[in-house]
Amino acid sequence: MNVSDPDISGFQLWRRGQQFEDFTLGQSFTHHWGRTLTAGDATLFASVALRYCPLYLNAEYAKAAGHRDLVVDPLLVLSTVIGLSVEDLSEAGGPFLGVNKVEFGAPVHPGDTITAASTVIDLRESESRPAAGIVSWRTVGTNQHEETVIEYERTNLVAKRQSKRERRMSKPA
Amino acid sequence: MSALTSSNNYFEDFHVGQKIRHARGTTIGEVENQLLTKLVMNSADGHWNEAKMAKTAFGQRLVFGFITASMVMGLATQDTAENAVKETGLDRIRFKKPVFHGDTVNAFTEVLSKQDTENTTEGLIRFKHWGINQHDEVVFEGERTVVLKRRPATH
Repeated sequence: MNVSDPDISGFQLWRRGQQFEDFTLGQSFTHHWGRTLTAGDATLFASVALRYCPLYLNAEYAKAAGHRDLVVDPLLVLSTVIGLSVEDLSEAGGPFLGVNKVEFGAPVHPGDTITAASTVIDLRESESRPAAGIVSWRTVGTNQHEETVIEYERTNLVAKRQSKRERRMSKPA
Repeated sequence: MSALTSSNNYFEDFHVGQKIRHARGTTIGEVENQLLTKLVMNSADGHWNEAKMAKTAFGQRLVFGFITASMVMGLATQDTAENAVKETGLDRIRFKKPVFHGDTVNAFTEVLSKQDTENTTEGLIRFKHWGINQHDEVVFEGERTVVLKRRPATH
């Protein structure tokens, strides 16, 4: 490093994500940002994910089926709602244990804006992984007309704040 | 419009217990995982920070589970939802093994149930899908319900 380079040891980490101790039963979250899903997003996702159903790729076909435009692939809607929820729920945590009871509601069309919110529905210790707990949330995705476009339950392993790994990593070298 | 889709994958064409091995597999690389994981705003950098993940037991970036799920269900979509009216839901989604850039998945499907609906031009089908990697390990499984068209008289 150059003498003019900053001493990065003096820079404080701006943390993102939450850990097991941060969750309480019944706690609710309005997740950040929201996302307007464009025709570009929808066509890109459905093409790359090989979603060969013309409702998702051919606007004229979708209109003939009674839609006002392309149908946004519900797997894009699901992935986006999960994505928007990651920082609040699982970014600092651990892997998915399962996603259940996914129900697609009102169809999403290009230009619709999706927001996401979650509630903690279960919290428990992990018998096999004492450094982590298990958290379940119910998540709802809503469009700009306050219609539910998706809801589901998800369960993750979530690291505890003072896990063995953290203690080991915080020891001076 | 029915000329645009296959004539062998309407509601009537499936039977409960039917097991389907889909024709195409796909390698999941950076194009799929980096592009789509960021497109859907998944902010967990374990999916896109190689230097950080090199220091973990995984040794490399992980593919976001719902990219794996979407691609496995994508491999099954032409056969099982090309003639969909709508997809109504998913259930029992499980990720059994981590997926890394460069892994290849193939899709397998079983028809779990068929149900008549009020609309006699359609029917509801529940499928179970599995995604299997190049080492014959199940990486993904999950159920999916689809409203499929019944075969039109002219098709």
